[in-house]
Order: sequence, then C-alpha cells, then structure tokens
Amino acid sequence: MKENEPCNRSDDKGHPRIGIYIGRGTSHSWLWFVEVFDRIGFFDLAFLTETELRGDGLDRCDVLAMSGGDTFAIAKGLGPEGADKLARFIANGGLYIGSCAGAYLPLHSSKEHLNLFNFVPAKIANLTRTLPEARRLREKFCTAYGCAYIFHPVREAVRLTTNGFAPFKKAPSLDAPLYGGPPLIAGGSAQVLATYSGFTEKTVFLVDKKLASDTLLGKAAVIRQKMGQGYLHLYGPHFEHPRFTVANQLLTDAMLYDLRPDPVQIHETIASEEIICGEACRNLLKNIKREISNARIVAVGLETLPVQWTIGNKLYETAKIREFIEPVWRRIKRLEKLNRMRLLPGQAGRLLQVASETTALLREVKRDLKSGIDTLYKAKDLFERLNRTSALFLEIYFRTKRMGDSRIKEFRDGQQRLSSGFLPDHQGRVCLRRCRYRSP
Amino acid sequence: MENLASNKISIVDLATRNIIEEELDDDLVLEKIGGAGITKSLYDRFADEDPIVLGAGLLTGSLVPGSSLGVITAKSPLTGRVSHVPLSLDAGMELKYSGFDYIVIKGAADKPVYLWIHDGIADLNDAGDLWGKDVWAATDHIRDLMGDDLIQVLGIGEAGEKGSDLAQICINYWQSGDRMAFGNLFGKKRLKLIAIRGMGLLEIAEPEEFIEKCAGLLSAVKSGGAAGIRGIAAMAAAVGEEDLGGWLQPLTHKHMACFNTSVPTNTFVFLDEDPALLKETAVAEPGFLLTDISPLLKLKKLGLTASDACRVLKACATYGIDGASVAELSEKAGLTDPEAIKSSFPSLKGPVSSSGDAVFSPWAAIGNQEKDAWMRRQAVAYIFGIHPIFAQLAPELTEEKLLDISSIGTELELTSETLEEVIADITG
Repeated sequence: MKENEPCNRSDDKGHPRIGIYIGRGTSHSWLWFVEVFDRIGFFDLAFLTETELRGDGLDRCDVLAMSGGDTFAIAKGLGPEGADKLARFIANGGLYIGSCAGAYLPLHSSKEHLNLFNFVPAKIANLTRTLPEARRLREKFCTAYGCAYIFHPVREAVRLTTNGFAPFKKAPSLDAPLYGGPPLIAGGSAQVLATYSGFTEKTVFLVDKKLASDTLLGKAAVIRQKMGQGYLHLYGPHFEHPRFTVANQLLTDAMLYDLRPDPVQIHETIASEEIICGEACRNLLKNIKREISNARIVAVGLETLPVQWTIGNKLYETAKIREFIEPVWRRIKRLEKLNRMRLLPGQAGRLLQVASETTALLREVKRDLKSGIDTLYKAKDLFERLNRTSALFLEIYFRTKRMGDSRIKEFRDGQQRLSSGFLPDHQGRVCLRRCRYRSP
Repeated sequence: MENLASNKISIVDLATRNIIEEELDDDLVLEKIGGAGITKSLYDRFADEDPIVLGAGLLTGSLVPGSSLGVITAKSPLTGRVSHVPLSLDAGMELKYSGFDYIVIKGAADKPVYLWIHDGIADLNDAGDLWGKDVWAATDHIRDLMGDDLIQVLGIGEAGEKGSDLAQICINYWQSGDRMAFGNLFGKKRLKLIAIRGMGLLEIAEPEEFIEKCAGLLSAVKSGGAAGIRGIAAMAAAVGEEDLGGWLQPLTHKHMACFNTSVPTNTFVFLDEDPALLKETAVAEPGFLLTDISPLLKLKKLGLTASDACRVLKACATYGIDGASVAELSEKAGLTDPEAIKSSFPSLKGPVSSSGDAVFSPWAAIGNQEKDAWMRRQAVAYIFGIHPIFAQLAPELTEEKLLDISSIGTELELTSETLEEVIADITG
C-alpha cells in the first residue's frame, strides 16, 4: 500500500453509533457532546443536519443527541418529515438524548412546529403569562412562547439529587450547569432520574431567589420516557458540559443502559476512502492548521469588542466564536501526533474551502465592527460556517479515530513493507508533572 | 526540546520561497543554551547565505522577571560584524509563543514579501500592497488584513526600502534597539516585515518549583534598586545619565513596560493631545512611545524642545531610520531645526558611533558601565531572554539563579561552564 492509496475497511462493532444533530437551531453546545463522547472513546459519531435527519441519517444511528439552541428553530428546521423520522427512530428502538433545547423539543406543545414533536407528556415549570422582574442578564432571561413566556430563573451550576434508580445509581447528588433548560413536571409513565435540589456558589440568579427556588427546586431535572421500543432521556441542565465529569458519567451510563439490544449493523466499506500518512498527512494538517489558526487569531481579537448578535431567539457573544474553533484546534494536535488521517475524497478540500471562507468572513466582521457597520447578517453567515467547519473537521477526526487497532496494524505492516516506516508513537503521552500556562 | 520551547526552527529561503522546519535538538540547547547562543550558532551554519536569525531566549515569555527579550542576529551593514539586536516590548514574547523557537531567513526575494508567523506556521506572502508604505501604515495594514491588533510587526519603512545604511527594523509603530542597520538587510532581501502572533503554550518540566523560584526572584527585584524607577527619564537618571525628567514631564502621558518587566522602561508622550487626559482620546495619533534613551539625550543636547525632539523621533519611526544615528549626524551637520532634520533623512549615511563597536546593539549601553562587565551582562541577558536594561538595573537576577531556573524549567543540566563557553562564543 502506498501513501494516499484508498483502502476498504469496516468499523469495529460494539460501540453505539451516535448521531449528533448540528442543523438549524443548534448552538455550539453540540460540541460538548462531541467532547464527552471523544473522552470515553465513542468515536462512531455522525453529524446530522436537518436535511440528513429528514433523510436517512437516523437509519444508521442507535442514538440521537440533540443539544441546546433555539427549540423553535430546531422544530421548524426539522418540520413534519423530521418529526416523523424522529418518532419512528425512537419507536424502533433508538435512544433520543435531549439537552436544554433538546429537552424542550419533544414535550407536549400546542405551538406550531413544536406540536409535531408531542412525544413526552411532561410540563415545564418556568412558563408564565406574567413575566417576573429580571435581576440580571435581562437579554438571556426569557423567551416568548405565544402569549406567555418561558423564563430562566438561574444560570450556571445547580445542585441535583438523583433518585437512586438505574441508570442513575452512581451519584446521589451532583452539579450541572443550567443555561435555559427546563424544570420539568413529569406526567404519564415518565420516570424522574434527577431533581433540582439546590443552588451552588456558582449559581447566578436572574430572578428573585424565592421565585427561583419555587420554580426549580423539587422539579424534575432529568426524565426518562419509553416510547415504543426506544427511550427519550431529557436533561434540563447540560449533563454533557465537559467540565462536569460526574454528570458526563451519568449521561453516558444512562445512554448505555437504554441502548437497543441489537445495535445497527454498519458495514462502512467505502472503496474510495483514503488513508494518508507521513508527508502528505503533515502537509494537509498544516493547511488545515493555517486556516484554523488564522480564524482563531481574529476570533481572539474580536473578543475585545463589546458586541452581541441576536440570531433567532438566541444571543451570541463574540466569545461563542471560539467555542466552535477550539475543539477543532485541540484535535489538530492529536492528529499531528497520530500522523495519519482517514478521509473521503473531497472532504479535505471542502474543509479547507469552508475554513478559508470562515476566516475571511471573520476578518470582514472585525473590519465592519471597527467601522461601525451593522454585522448581523454576516454574523448569521459566520456562525453557520463555523458550524460547518467544525463538523467537517470532526467528521475526518472521528473517521480517523475509528481505525481499529487491527486496521492500524495492517496499515502499519503494509507501510513497513513498502517504506521505511512512518508511524510514530500514536499514543499521546501524558506527563502529569507538566503544566501549561498563559491561556490564549 | 519539549520544555520552555516549541521545539521548532523555521528556515525560510526567500529566493526559492521554500520553508523547511527542523526540531530544536536538546543537544543544541545543552551546548548553546538559547537566545543569542543559538541564533549565533544558526547564523554560523548559514553564514554563506547572508542570514537573518530571529529567536527568543531560553526564559523569554516565562514568569522570570524581565523575560521579554527576543533577539535578531545578522551581519551589520554598518560595522561588518555579526551582531545582536534586541526585540523588546511584546515582540520577543510573541515570538516565543508563535510556535517557533528560531527563524532563519536566508537569501533574497525577487519581489517584496512579508513573513506571517503564527501557531507554528510560517507563511511567505507577497508584499506588493505594503511596499512603499511607511512603518505605521504598514503595521496598520497588516493588522487590519489579519484581523488582530495584537500582532507584533517587525517592519521597515522608506529608509529600509531605499537602502539607507541607517535603516532600522521597527517594532510595530515604535523605534527598536536596532542600531545595526538590520533594516537595510530587510530592504536588500525585499522583506518588508515579519508579522508575529503567539497564541501557543509552553510546558515546564517542574512547574511548581519553577513558579516558586520565579516568585522569589520577583520579590527580590521588587525590593531591590530597580524598585520605583518609572519611565524613560527616571531610567536615564538611575544609570547616571542626564536627568530628563523636567524636560519630558510636560508631555508625559504614561509609562509602559515590556512584557513581564517590572520596570516600565518606555514612556508614552502626548504631542497632539493633553497629556493629563485620563479618558480615551479621540485623536487618532495623539503621540509617540519613547523606547530609546540615547536619541533623546542627543536631541536635547542639540537644544531641541522635548516636543520637537519627540516629533523628530516619531518621524524617524515612520520613516524607519535609527533615531540615535539621526541625532548624531544632525549634530555633526549642525542641524537644530526639526523640519530640517526630518528633511535630511534620505541623504543621511553612516558610519556613526551610535552603532557602537560591540556585538550587541548599544541600545542598552547607557550610563557608565565597566566595558567587560557590561558585555558579559548583555550576553547573559541575550542568552536567557532578559530585558538588557532591566538586567542592568536588577543585579538580583544572577547568572547562577538564571541557570538554576533554566535547568528546573527544561530538565536539562545547564552548567556554568557551558554558560562561560556560550558567552565567549557570542562576545568573541
């Protein structure tokens, strides 16, 4: 086998195939799911847009992770076809994990678009017709919901108590961050896995403390609902937030607990797939790194400017830009250590093209902001491109990580026969005595 | 070299536009330590190709007090000697975090280019749009193009482009310690500027001990003789030069330190705005950052007002010519009118005494130091990456302590014998 020569392979089995929704309405928080799944070694991830989800994207998945974002936009983006696909996916044994906006989505609702997803007969406790006074962060405090409002009593870490039932046995209490997710009132056969039980030093109160307590405490934070052969796990707080490792563990434990007994069988044998290594890999990574570095530099510069954009129902600060870039940046270094990449024809070109356009747009936004020009439309375009750049890169990254050990050995043997051997130690060594400082 | 380094050397061939990378070998660090020790070694290796070598000191960008210094090593068109020029302000630190430890630039381009250094990527780009711009306009242009105002720009102006043997590489908008006409070398190589952004990370072998030692050094420096010195005028007085305080005070807006240097050695003067203004000025270019004592002293001696002297130095910076040389040649020509001095820039030629006769730029040679001791102190500063003026003001930063902290940070056995050899090598 020579460098760049295509090869066939089928993936290792035993791990769930997880779809992560990255389409219309999602925020950057889908990248938190990516972080958690990457950490625990679930590399079989598929990044699904609304078009892919409406198509056959879910047919190849055991799990769908729906992150935070704008629930209305997600519902509208998926539409009746998406709702139907999702319902069938769950009924046929799929697992739906919804966090924050992803938790609101399948709750019963009479509102247009949302009423397509009436899967779980639970109510929310933060719905009001009389909006309370906002004590801070007025811009993130509420969302209109027809004639009423959904208000968010607190933000940041809250305390939760688990009920001791499987699959939430490991931790009696834990903290997880709340960024607009629902306090739930379970109905029907829904099982409550955790309730809101208190606040933490990090909790930021957006309303009066008593009202926050009345609204949240004792309400369900996580519920589990059976639907047909499958399950829905709905998380008000972001259990997938990478800084909350206990919550991460419970989320993945619960996922494994409710996986369908017979995972989907994927034979991902693509004749034209390429594995590149050595000089070719280094050059491609350098080109990717160049674009991402250029984007990252502008993004850091933008963070000094006091600007926010309201896109749909969500508020975007300039700091959100790096939420998309940093996960890519960190993984470039890991691929450099691996010194090999596995990708489909044209993937690298598309990634470089979108990354380059993203950098150009970032620079335009920066220039326009300095000149006092309105940047809302460019910002919308920018976040879409950032989303696309991250997804394209991560698709390559996880495709590479999915190369099983037997495949790596076969690949390495082939290389050693035909060349002087290129693969360095692909296990990134960790030295606990070292530290890093000067954050960017 | 894994600790206190990016482990990468870039070798840029301007003639072929080929850029290759090498690892920074532990052996090279064990033999030459860092900073000027290694830039000199790299210069010698590529000497046939008239190289310009940039690098950071072993401790540059770290928590060691005064660790702001980078270095440029090349053969001075003025003296014909291989010399070392300081990179102060934030330029040395940004270079350290740029993903490269050292950059060798050899050959000459056939048309104007600029080098963009970021995150371990070195890109050589056409500088057609930049050539012909003064230093300030070029800095604005590149920062706008790349979208970041924190980019450090080592660039030349008209002086460098037109081959003046007094041309200076400026740092962003300001005068640098380049008294060796390295700006002339940039011009000959058609290298308009080097833009650097450093967002990398450094690893430390023994972080707790390293940070503890750094904190101890900082405490010692803060209670030492350098404490309380603020600004360029106070610094001149502290080293026995003429006290510029009363002369400069009416223009003084604020003092600024180079990266992690506890003595602010630079002073920002307002020339077109009230210096006492506390809120942000609406004036686009309110004044100038004074980074070099020598030309100030000389222009004062010529009888210029502080305002006129600062305006002359601002013109030097935009034109990209060494202010100390301009002041010296103006004195020789009997020029005392600021406008006449500015008009003389295109016709000024060396040699000048302000380039000194040593291997280090005399930028930091203020006061009345004993020559050998001063030479040694400069060498130590340029090897470890310590601001050379600060190194003079802070004797608490002893060679032993710098060696000790370097060994802790790198896990390499760096000895005083090696340091002696490196000092001898770069000062010989």
